[in-house]
Amino acid sequence: MEYTKQGKHTAEFIWIWTIIVLGFIYLPVVCDGISSLSKGRYFSFPIKRWALDWWAKTVSSMEIGEIVRNSLLIAFVVTILSTIIGFCGALAFARFNWRGRKLFQKLILLPIFFPQPVLGLALLLLFNTAGITLSWHTAVFAHLIWITPVVTLVIAIQVYGFDPTLEVAARDLGASKFRIFREITLPLLWPGIWSGMLFAFLLSWGNFSLSLYTTGVDNTVPKWLYTKMIAGYTPMVPTLGTLSTLVAAAVMIIGGLCVWAVRKKQGRA
Amino acid sequence: MESDSKAASAVKKAGAFGQWLRDVVQTQGGRCAIPVYILLLLGFIAPLVMVLAFAFATPRTFTAFTSFTLENFIHIFDGSSSVLMSYVWALAFAALATAILTVVCYPVAVGMVRIFGRRCSMVISVLFCFPLFVSENVRLYGWILFFMKNGILDGTLKMLGGAGPDILYTPGMILFGICYTYLPYMLFPIVLGVALVPQDLLTAARDLGASRFRTWREIELPLAMPGVLIGMLITFVLAAGAISESKILGGQSVVVITNDIDIALTYSQNWPQGSAMAVVLMIVIAAVTLYAFKKIDLEKILGR
Amino acid sequence: MEKAIMQKGRAPEEESATELAKEIKPGDTILDLVHVCRDFDKVKVIKDVSLQIKKDEFFTLVGPSGSGKTTILKMLAGMDQPTSGDIVLGGKSISTVPPDKRPTCMVFQFLALFPHMTVGENIEFPMKVKGIPGDKRCDRAYELMQLVSLPESYYKKNVMKCSGGERQRVAIARALAYDPEILLFDEPLSAIDAKLRKTLQKELKELHARSGKTFIYITHSLEEAMYMSDRVGVLCNGQLKQVGTPSEIYNHPVSRFVASFIGDTNIFKVGMTAAGSWACEDFPGMQIKVAPHGDDRDGYLVVRPENLRVMYEGAVPADNVISCHVRNAYSMGSRIQYQLMSGKKEIMLELTPRHDHGIKPGDTISLGWNADDAIFVTE
Repeated sequence: MEYTKQGKHTAEFIWIWTIIVLGFIYLPVVCDGISSLSKGRYFSFPIKRWALDWWAKTVSSMEIGEIVRNSLLIAFVVTILSTIIGFCGALAFARFNWRGRKLFQKLILLPIFFPQPVLGLALLLLFNTAGITLSWHTAVFAHLIWITPVVTLVIAIQVYGFDPTLEVAARDLGASKFRIFREITLPLLWPGIWSGMLFAFLLSWGNFSLSLYTTGVDNTVPKWLYTKMIAGYTPMVPTLGTLSTLVAAAVMIIGGLCVWAVRKKQGRA
Repeated sequence: MESDSKAASAVKKAGAFGQWLRDVVQTQGGRCAIPVYILLLLGFIAPLVMVLAFAFATPRTFTAFTSFTLENFIHIFDGSSSVLMSYVWALAFAALATAILTVVCYPVAVGMVRIFGRRCSMVISVLFCFPLFVSENVRLYGWILFFMKNGILDGTLKMLGGAGPDILYTPGMILFGICYTYLPYMLFPIVLGVALVPQDLLTAARDLGASRFRTWREIELPLAMPGVLIGMLITFVLAAGAISESKILGGQSVVVITNDIDIALTYSQNWPQGSAMAVVLMIVIAAVTLYAFKKIDLEKILGR
Repeated sequence: MEKAIMQKGRAPEEESATELAKEIKPGDTILDLVHVCRDFDKVKVIKDVSLQIKKDEFFTLVGPSGSGKTTILKMLAGMDQPTSGDIVLGGKSISTVPPDKRPTCMVFQFLALFPHMTVGENIEFPMKVKGIPGDKRCDRAYELMQLVSLPESYYKKNVMKCSGGERQRVAIARALAYDPEILLFDEPLSAIDAKLRKTLQKELKELHARSGKTFIYITHSLEEAMYMSDRVGVLCNGQLKQVGTPSEIYNHPVSRFVASFIGDTNIFKVGMTAAGSWACEDFPGMQIKVAPHGDDRDGYLVVRPENLRVMYEGAVPADNVISCHVRNAYSMGSRIQYQLMSGKKEIMLELTPRHDHGIKPGDTISLGWNADDAIFVTE
């Protein structure tokens, strides 16, 4: 139907173009995957001997176990903190009509509209001057600065879809403020909160630019990969890179299905 | 006289600040904003103030607020260093990437809004969103594996009797990497913009006898412009501060300004110099943002 | 609205409001609005409304959008408070009693059903809040579903999967589950298509009779108001223009506004001449016969389109006769409406198809009406 409106050739061109662009987006990810399956110490294509040796080495490496744990720890803490702060922020952003709202809506966008490496360097300067030792704590703080606004926006989308008359109706039916929050507001906002948590976890897990300057001695996966990348080729780089990509994909798919299931249960999928 | 008006405007500003503070503390919505405001104050405003303070400190010192000098800024502009060139590279990459990505993303956005259908569009937007969750260095590294000697491209071409191009570690490669990394940031705002255009309007324009190109030029583009502009702005700002692309794909072929700031603040431990460079970069970015919003008259684009 | 929710002042009388409402006998005044005014930022939205609502009646407030009807309803529900004046229930002021402590319950315009709950959970919600045990709640929910004619199988159905009419019934059942003395309706039928609306209007009237509760309904459609209500109040610009039974409002409107709000009507501006007879500027040189009403001020004659007669040859003579040119005819199914011109004045005439005398656009005809068929109003 839409085809005819747009013109058949235009539609075909746009389909092909989109597939090319998507291919372009995923080509390097596939390259990482392919080279992780090579047996040799040095990569050359076409691959002569395929093997899972480097996967075994990567998974069993103590050092890598340590940095994966760091990355997970940071992502978990960032997820929890940014969701709590972002939930409040989303209420301020979309639920309540208060006088400073317009300004708040603009200010919260600033960290998203700011180059992360520059923010990371500015935070590094702040930590150094304040005499704070860099560790995973400072990395969590740095991640929060730009992940919280993203989480706020994600939850705010759900809050916009929330009809405040439901709260008025519940009140009219005799419910207390606490009960309204627990039984009406919170359940209806859950899909948004879940999505926010998902974004927080994934963005923190894959963050490089902020971690680069703020993790100190506690390495994260992206930062470790970077130090290995510039030091010369080791098959562990594409292997761990692919592993980290797969973890992100798994989290996104499982988390996305959870959000979908919650929505489905509420009859709004 | 002048001091009077200055004092008056100061009072006015203080009054506005007081009003803002009252709004935040006294309304329910404002109280919900407090945690975010505290976070932004400590993690965004404070570091920027610190950078600003260091930019005016004596070079190679480690305390701010105790000295005042313009030496750091003079050093940037006096031509004795390559810093100016770094700005030029960074801004040129950002401008070119913005232009390229606009052209690349627009058709995709139109497809997602109007051609692919709801279900397909959902899948495609998830596919475009996912790379944001993979650290950019992992993805950029994939390009090295693709383009390097005996890499995927070279190896394939050799099998066919040719040879891959030797383009790694060139400025062009950096631009390529920037386009690659920031594509989703351009795509999603354009999708929002195109979604603002009602399909009926396009059908009506066609019905009134406008050609397909004319309909696009006079109806769709002006109405989708707010989204396109926001996409261009985000892309430009983020690309101007990009660093991974030049570090990973660029080798040492070209130094962008974020590289210089990085080196000054870390290896060479010249905090004031690095801060001054960061301040100039932020001023350029802010100026472009303001200029974009002023020069490109949103009303005119919308109202046509 | 928000303010009302936040104010949780516990006035001593609020405990008794529900009890008080139960003790009032049917037919006695249950709600008394005393000179109620409401300003929003100095704009007077409600201007001195006084009104008594009787227990067990179906009362409808009707008015165009912006007339302040929703504001009054909100004040009755406790979601808003009067700027001045008082709302009295059984002799006690309830102006500041919060919504959860009033014997009122609202059926919202867009129903405000909880989308994450089933039909049963929605209906049981107010009972759960009151702490009624689970099995009793369930029994009562089935009772209420039967009362609003929802099939039992709907108990476990997702409320968002119900049709418009079914949702309507769920909303009413939920409101009844709160066991209020007064049910407030905020135009709940406005978003429903015409045919279903008629059915639901009938059901609502039946439900009113069966439930024995006081219904206060607001709508912008006087037709809907007249169809269902025992009494109607007509609201305009925050002022109550007329209160009465549907037939009183239709046959004895107090003003042009009320008369024309009820439906298409002809209004002729008339004045008394020096000679003591009535004249109308739309029909120069003609003496108009007006039923005696003991008032010699200038005013308006309201003549309903169905009260105009075509003066064909041999017809019974009428008190007033004018000549008109037929412009257009609009079929309305059971009736035909004609747009006529008498000089520069547009006139509307309604006939049943059987008695249309073959009138067609372009004809010139004579129209007449008797003095008793016209209503004289001064404003």
